[in-house]
Amino acid sequence: MERRGGQTVGFDREISALMARVKEGDKDAFQDITRRYQRKVFVLAYAFFRDREEALDIVQETFLRLYEKASLFREGEDFQAWLFRIARNLCIDAYRRARHRRVDHVEDARLEALPADGPDCEDAERRADLRALFREVIDRLAAKQRTVFVMKHYNDMPYQEIARTLGIAVGTVKSLHFKAVRNLRKHLGPHMGTAS
Amino acid sequence: MSACKVRRDEWIAFMSHELETGREKALSDHLGTCRSCRDEVEDLRALFEEADALGEEARAALASVDWDAIPARIAARLPERAVSTPGFGARFRASVWSPRLRPALAGLLAGIILGGAAAFFALRKPSGRGAASDFFASGEFLDRVELELARRQTLDYLDKGQYLILDVLETPAGSGRPGPDAAASREARDLIASKKYLNPQLDKFGMAKAKELCDQIELLVFELTQLSPEVGAAEVDRIRGMVSDRQLLMKIRLVKKELERSEV
Repeated sequence: MERRGGQTVGFDREISALMARVKEGDKDAFQDITRRYQRKVFVLAYAFFRDREEALDIVQETFLRLYEKASLFREGEDFQAWLFRIARNLCIDAYRRARHRRVDHVEDARLEALPADGPDCEDAERRADLRALFREVIDRLAAKQRTVFVMKHYNDMPYQEIARTLGIAVGTVKSLHFKAVRNLRKHLGPHMGTAS
Repeated sequence: MSACKVRRDEWIAFMSHELETGREKALSDHLGTCRSCRDEVEDLRALFEEADALGEEARAALASVDWDAIPARIAARLPERAVSTPGFGARFRASVWSPRLRPALAGLLAGIILGGAAAFFALRKPSGRGAASDFFASGEFLDRVELELARRQTLDYLDKGQYLILDVLETPAGSGRPGPDAAASREARDLIASKKYLNPQLDKFGMAKAKELCDQIELLVFELTQLSPEVGAAEVDRIRGMVSDRQLLMKIRLVKKELERSEV
């Protein structure tokens, strides 16, 4: 993940110049920007859905939205933060729609369904169950906690960059990360053999 | 957890390499001497390793995509969508919220708040138990009134939720009337609205059990509002499954009994 602090002024100028061309409808510039950022958007979206096709849909929709909203991008603005905000909003919208459609039967039943063998039972089946449970618990985190956790652990973004992308204070990011970890431990601790 | 004074969130920041070098070193040294903090860090390490494993999945999926083809494929869809020029509203919002104007807006907001507060204190009637007010209630009394109101509103919510659930359960499977009728849908929307007002009261008075049950009812009610009139019997059966799996009716009866017994 590129850090804002590590980006050169030249890089910013390059992106601004490309965006200026995109505003004029230049498709080559649009493809250039897509090429540079598509993987980062994909990782963010994949962490939300864990579904390759769904993540690719988000990538496509993000860059189409970028093209439509290019005129709103202001020169000197943090481009990656701006782009990630578009992607994150699309993810959350799609995620909420999907969540409302499905039954939340797993809520209690799934947690109890895990073998209560404790930490000594480290067979492959149990690990697969644990991973599945991990996914489900992440699914049930509040949207902001989930977003911060995903950006931190899957996109390897530091707190500062997450704060800039989400437009919130660094302290809020820390607090959301802490709450996400606490909730994960609460549900997963007994199955991981940790103190939680 | 630990009896020592290191906060849990510091260990999360430590594991995430988000601490300043000096603090990171201090905590690292502390680990050598504190058993409970070592356990804490081990727990976090296990959790983060699981998260990393899921990150690996993302990277594998990333590798499976033909990224060279994607930009052209997306660009091919562009002619269908024109670049939008922002409307007046968007331009206005963009200019008003621009970073340059934010300090001025913050100052304006602070001025409004301070001015409002000054006007309030200057213009309010003098209050005192003896002078203008002929009614006085102690804080304890007011708390009891609020608690009683919360109790009654919760009972009312549970009553309505129970009726709605019974209504859904009584709908015969596969009948010509698969979804909730218009009255039930209206009732469901009313329940969603009333839950918003109930939440802070449940939190304030620590009515955790009632809150958990009300949350479950809210989820169910929300599902009901999502049912279209053309919905199939399978969808209604699914809702029934939610009710029976969570033993909602029994829980409602038990919590109602408890609330009725605890009249203030």
